[in-house]
Amino acid sequence: MRRTIQMIIALFLPVLLCGQVNAQHSGPYVGAFIGGNALMKAKSSDDKGTFSLTFDPALQGNAVLGWDLPPGSSAGEGRIELEYSRRSNPLDKETFAEGSFAGGGNVTAESLLLNCYGVFHDKTLWAPYLGIGAGVVRIKASDLTVAGQPLSNDSDVVFAYQVGTGIDITLTDHLSLDLGYRFFGSTRPQFTEVNGRKFYMDYLSHSAVFGLRVGF
Amino acid sequence: MVKLLWSGVVMVMLLSGCGWDGTPTRKNDFIPLTSIEIVADSPTIAVSRTIAKNTSTTLSVKGNFSGLYTSDVTDQVVWTSDTPAVAGFAVASVPNRVSGLIPGSTTLTATVGNVTATFNLTVSDATITEMTITPVNPTITKGSNMQFVVNGTFVDPATSDTTTQDLTFDASWLSSATEVATVGVTAANKGLAHAVATGTATISATFDGVTRSSLLTVTEPVLQSIAVTPANPSVLTLSSEPFKATGTYSDGSAVDLTSQVAWSSSNAGIATIASSGTASTLTQGNSTINATLDGVSGSTILKVTGGNLTGIVPSVAAITLVKGTVARISATGTFSNSTTRDITGVVAWSAANTAVTVTAPGGNLAWLNASAVTPTSVPTIITAKYGTFTATTTVTVTAPTLQSIAISQTSLDLTAGTSSRLTATGTFKDNNGTITTQDVTASADWTSSAATTASVGNAGLAKGRVSGATAGSGSATITATYGGKSASTAVTVRTRIIQSLTMSGPASAAAGNMVSFTATASYIDGTSKDVTEDATWTIDTPNVALLADSQNQPGQIVAVAPGSATFSASFGGMSKNATVIIQ
Repeated sequence: MRRTIQMIIALFLPVLLCGQVNAQHSGPYVGAFIGGNALMKAKSSDDKGTFSLTFDPALQGNAVLGWDLPPGSSAGEGRIELEYSRRSNPLDKETFAEGSFAGGGNVTAESLLLNCYGVFHDKTLWAPYLGIGAGVVRIKASDLTVAGQPLSNDSDVVFAYQVGTGIDITLTDHLSLDLGYRFFGSTRPQFTEVNGRKFYMDYLSHSAVFGLRVGF
Repeated sequence: MVKLLWSGVVMVMLLSGCGWDGTPTRKNDFIPLTSIEIVADSPTIAVSRTIAKNTSTTLSVKGNFSGLYTSDVTDQVVWTSDTPAVAGFAVASVPNRVSGLIPGSTTLTATVGNVTATFNLTVSDATITEMTITPVNPTITKGSNMQFVVNGTFVDPATSDTTTQDLTFDASWLSSATEVATVGVTAANKGLAHAVATGTATISATFDGVTRSSLLTVTEPVLQSIAVTPANPSVLTLSSEPFKATGTYSDGSAVDLTSQVAWSSSNAGIATIASSGTASTLTQGNSTINATLDGVSGSTILKVTGGNLTGIVPSVAAITLVKGTVARISATGTFSNSTTRDITGVVAWSAANTAVTVTAPGGNLAWLNASAVTPTSVPTIITAKYGTFTATTTVTVTAPTLQSIAISQTSLDLTAGTSSRLTATGTFKDNNGTITTQDVTASADWTSSAATTASVGNAGLAKGRVSGATAGSGSATITATYGGKSASTAVTVRTRIIQSLTMSGPASAAAGNMVSFTATASYIDGTSKDVTEDATWTIDTPNVALLADSQNQPGQIVAVAPGSATFSASFGGMSKNATVIIQ
C-alpha cells in the first residue's frame, strides 16, 4: 500500500509542479471515474416507528459525457455534463428499539444527473472546480435481511442531487485527470417490507473519485 | 484567493454530517418469536406460584426472539386456565390477572402466535392473619394523587406456612370523605386516592373482613409553574409593555399572579419592570423578564427594537400665542437607527414659569395653554425631556385685540357618516396697529344649529370636526365663537352609497419609523372622500407593527420589528387590507 502511494506521488508530483501549461480544452469530452463511496447511516421509518440502516463503504463508477465551455464564454468557465453513476453498498446492520442486528443485502443506486461545474483556471496545471447536479436515481434494496430474516426486496425511482468539487489536472490538450469529491443525495425512496408495510429511507453519500476525461 | 475559497468549501463538505444519529423507536418484528416464559409479578416468580384463595396476581410474559433478544410480549398473550373453577382470568380490563377461586391447582397457558408456555398455579386455603396499608397518614396537595397499597399475611392451615401477598387489587376501598379525597375502586385505579379539596379523609381497605385505614391530609395546592405573557414580545424603545404572570397549581388551576410575583429584568439598561409587571423599554436589545413566587419562576424574552434615542425635536422652536388661547405641540424622537417617531406622550413636559402651561391628556397629544402675557424679552421656555435628552420651545404670550374670526370654509358638502375638520382663524390688532392672525380652532366654542344632522366637536382635538349623521340628509350651520366674535359655515349633509374603499400608504418601513396610511371612500355618484379619521384601523401582528395612537393619530402605525403585518381599515361596511413589510 505504502509503495503504491509512493508511486502515485512520484508520477503526479512532477506533473503538478513542473509541467508545461497546455491549452485549455473546449468542446465535447467523455470521461470515466472510479472511487470509494460511503453511504451515510440512514434513518428509515414506517408506521411503526423509526430504525436505522448502516452500510459498508463500496466502490462506485461514473461515466460522463459533456461539453467544456470555451475560455471567456458568457456562461462562465466550466463544463456541463450528463453523468451516469452506480454505487452499491452492502447493508452492515440495522438498529431497532431492541438494539442492533446483523444486516444483509445491498442498496444500489444508479443515477443519471445533469451536472454544471464552474472551473477556476489560472496559469497552473491544476484548476479547482465546484458544481451541482440534479436528476433521477433508481435505488434498489436487494434482498435486505435482518439477522438472516428478510426485510425488503424492492426498488424506487426518486429525485437525486449532487454537489461536487475537486481539481482538474491538465495532462495534455485533450486529456485531463480529475480528482474529486461528491456529495450525493436523493428524496426518500419508499420500499415495501416483507410484511407489506412501506418504509422510507434516507439516501445520502460521500464519494471520493478519480478519473480521466478525454476531449475532442 | 479562489483556490483558498475552494479549499474551504472542500473542508466543509468533508466535515458535513455522518448520518442519522437519532434513537430508533420501531420494534424489530422481523425476527421470529421462538419461546416465551411466564413470570408472576410481585414478587417475581417463574414457573409456579401459590396464592391464597380469593386473591389474585398478575403474570408477565417475556418473549425470546430466536435467541437474539428478549422483549415483554404480555400484551400479545392469549390466556387460558385448564381448571377455571380453581383459578381463571376473570378481569377483562386486566387480561393477565389471574384470580384464585377455590383451593386446588391449575395449569395456566400463555399463547403468542404459535408459541406457548405454561405456569403452575396453586390456590391455597390460607387465611389472612394481618394486613398493612401504606403509606401511613400521608399528606398531599389538592389535585394530586396518592397510590395506597395493602399487603396481607396469610397462614396455610394445612402446612402452617406464612406468605405475604399484595392485596391492593383484591381489597375493597373506601374514602370517608369523598368531598376531600376519592379512592379508586375499578380494576384500573384500585387504591389510587385523588385529592379533591383541602381537609382530611380516611382511606380504608377491606379484605376478608379485615380493614386497615390511613388518614389522608389534603393541603392547599402547590404552585408548580408560572407563565409570563405575552411570550417573547418585540417592543419599541421608550415604550411600556404590561406583562401578566399566570400560575399553574398542582390541582391544575390557573391563577393570575401578576400582582403577587416579584418581577425582574435581566438587563435594566434595556428595560426596567415595575412591581405591577409593566416593563419600560430604554435601549435596543434583549432582556429576560422574570416573575418569581415561592421559589417558582417563569420568564420570557423581551426584545426591544427601534433604535436608541439620540435626540428630541419639538414641533415648533418658537411660537407666539394670544393670551387665553391654546395650541397643540408635539415632540419627535430621533433614534440611532436613523428612524424618527412621535414621542409626545413619552417625554416629560415642563414650563419655566406659569405664563404658559403644558397639558398632556394622553396618547401623543399635548397642549400649550397661554394664560398670562410674557415680557417680550422673557418668553416662556417649554421643555420636553426624556432621560438626558431635552428639547425646548420658546413661547411668547401677547394680548392684542381680537378684530374678527373666520372659518376655513364658508360652506361644506359632507357625506353622511363622514367627518371634516373646520379651522377657525382669529385676526388680532395690537397697540401698535400691527395685524396678526392665529389659529383659534382649539380655543373657540363650536356649535351646530342642527346637531342631529351635523354635529361638531367642541372639546380637545375634536374641536371643529364636523360629523354628518350616519343616515339621512339635511343642512346645518356650524358656528365658531371666540372672544365675542363669531363665524359660521353652512353644512349640507348628503347620503351617498359607498362603492369601494381604498388604502394608500408605504409598502415597507424601517423598524422604529412611524408611517401614515390614508383611507378613501369612493361613492356611486362619482365623488370620493378621505375617511382616514372615520375608519376603524386594526393591525394583526403587534410584534411587527402597532397602531401609533388610535385616538389621536388614525391611520398611522409604528414599525416595531422585521416581519410582515396586515394593516386593515374598515368603513361603511367595507374593509381593505394592506401588507406592510417591516425591515
